[in-house]
Amino acid sequence: MSPPSILSDDLLRQLMAVGQVDIMVGVPTLNNAATVGAVVQAAHFAFGNHFARERTVLINSDGGSSDGTPDIVREASRVESETVLAAHSLRTRHRISAPYHGVPGKGTALRTLFAAADLLQARAVAILDPEITSITPDGVFALLGPVLRDGVDFVSPAYARHPLDGPLVSQLVRPLFRAAYGRRLHEPMAADLGCSGTFAASCLEEAVWESDFARYGIDLWLSCAAVAGGFRMAEAALGPRTLGPRVARPGLQELFPQVVGSLFSCLEMHEAFWAGRTGSEAVPLLGEAPAVAGPAPPVERASLIEAFRTGVTDLGPLLEQVLSPETLEALHALSRAEGVITYPDRLWVATVMEFAAAHYRGVMHRQHLLQALVPLYLGRLAAFHARAEEVGVDATERALEALGESFEEAKPHLLGLWNKEGGR
Amino acid sequence: MAETIAEALRQAWENYQTGFARFLPRILVTLTIFVIGWLLAFVFGFLTRKVLGWLHLNALADRSGAGEVLKNAELPPADRVAGRLVFWLVFLGFLLSGLDALGFKGVEGLVARFLHFVPNLLVAVVIVVVGFVASNFLWRATLLAAFNARLPSARLLGNAVRVLVMILSVAMALEQIGVAKAVVLTAFAITFGAVMLGLAIAFGIGGGGLARRILEQQFTERDGTDTNGSSHL
Repeated sequence: MSPPSILSDDLLRQLMAVGQVDIMVGVPTLNNAATVGAVVQAAHFAFGNHFARERTVLINSDGGSSDGTPDIVREASRVESETVLAAHSLRTRHRISAPYHGVPGKGTALRTLFAAADLLQARAVAILDPEITSITPDGVFALLGPVLRDGVDFVSPAYARHPLDGPLVSQLVRPLFRAAYGRRLHEPMAADLGCSGTFAASCLEEAVWESDFARYGIDLWLSCAAVAGGFRMAEAALGPRTLGPRVARPGLQELFPQVVGSLFSCLEMHEAFWAGRTGSEAVPLLGEAPAVAGPAPPVERASLIEAFRTGVTDLGPLLEQVLSPETLEALHALSRAEGVITYPDRLWVATVMEFAAAHYRGVMHRQHLLQALVPLYLGRLAAFHARAEEVGVDATERALEALGESFEEAKPHLLGLWNKEGGR
Repeated sequence: MAETIAEALRQAWENYQTGFARFLPRILVTLTIFVIGWLLAFVFGFLTRKVLGWLHLNALADRSGAGEVLKNAELPPADRVAGRLVFWLVFLGFLLSGLDALGFKGVEGLVARFLHFVPNLLVAVVIVVVGFVASNFLWRATLLAAFNARLPSARLLGNAVRVLVMILSVAMALEQIGVAKAVVLTAFAITFGAVMLGLAIAFGIGGGGLARRILEQQFTERDGTDTNGSSHL
């Protein structure tokens, strides 16, 4: 679809007034008044400090915020323009705040931003998450610089995080992405990213924007599309990641199916790409390797184990339809064990892969299938936390690396299940 | 005397010959209808199986749980069951038509009644199938919702929903084919009412503490497994 048909008349008019740009920073928002100011300021400082000669624009694509987010974006832009940027910039700094139209969600916001980038013929595009307040002007530069200077098409952030931070990413998304797509990305579903105008334009051609998938899984899909499309990729070390306060975030029961369902759907979408690949390769990291940052996030291990035990027992009839008898028997044995459970890598890998194949083969309603995986994930989380507590941070990092290797080694198992006869 | 007997026998033989000559074509017509009916039923059954196979009915049945039920009952896969159902419906129609062609008293109008019955039977089958699929879906949804809400006896709740939906659909199907309408409706109303009343009394009197705990759980902060989903990313 051509960009003008995606953009509203008002936004189109504003973009035409801007003309061509070298750099576009997009901030998709929805009720982010508490945090978006810091993000916009970081972008403006980056314009002034690092891109004094480039033509730049900041576009806020808002989903209809009721907390005054667009006003805060405009105010932050105005303050920075008048105080700091005027002294450093050699060009006019454009900023646009406009509502997007269509199905509410991040997918529509990103589509609007990519369409704007395409229309403005931006060479480099950065998308900034309005909730990640730790983004700095140097961080914005790290996302955009490789695109402008080195011809990289997709820059993914690498945050300095504790190995127990973001367990859904480290235990499931990252290793499965690595095994399937053959690229080792720290954050396959990061909301901050940098990309080329070419990549943005190619994404607009894909048929994902109208689906539910675009609402929840668009960040992950971008990484998958970058690998599957053969685009040049790099990682930018951005330091620690801090999420600002927000009134309501979805709980795990809501978020888990969205994230894992998106990953499984990506596998289905890019089957032709990943099915024949083996092994994995690292993505070039620009900047210092991310160090461990922050303390280990607290977990209530007892409640996780309880959820796991109850889940294996109560959801047994559902799990029978998804898991192989060996995996199910091993899980029942785990759930019967006293005290802290030990959920070995091999069993966790088999669990995830059998769920992924069942998702593909449509064994049951997908939402039900994904919800049935939650208690098993909680069990794995409890077990990994217990092991990490014993061995320390460095060994935990190595354990995560070993988990990634286990996923890679088990890829033939996934393929076997995927192509099993009598399925779809 | 002997002549009278011979005459009677001759008369009987003539009657038999006349009757046989009159009845033979009917038998031939009936047999022809049976043969053609069998062939057509076979073709329709075969086509049904092929078309449903092409539409991946078996995968759909597996997904809905019907495949598992058929397997446990040692029945063939769903497409074969549907094929056989079509075969017997068509063949039964021709069988009755053939019997009708014989002209026996008592079987007249069987075909008309059968043709009147078939649509109701098909609707009843559809009701049972849809009921089965819905009961499985609701069973899973209830089971997961109850588990996620940390309700005790999630499995019991899920199974109760499944059984209730199945009872409802079977009662509807029986009513559709007109089998003991009044009995079915009354039995269903009594059973359903009794179950609901029993549950209400049990929950209200016997499960007061349980109800309080569940409500408290719902309206107070959840435990550490479901606070902020973003902390998992």
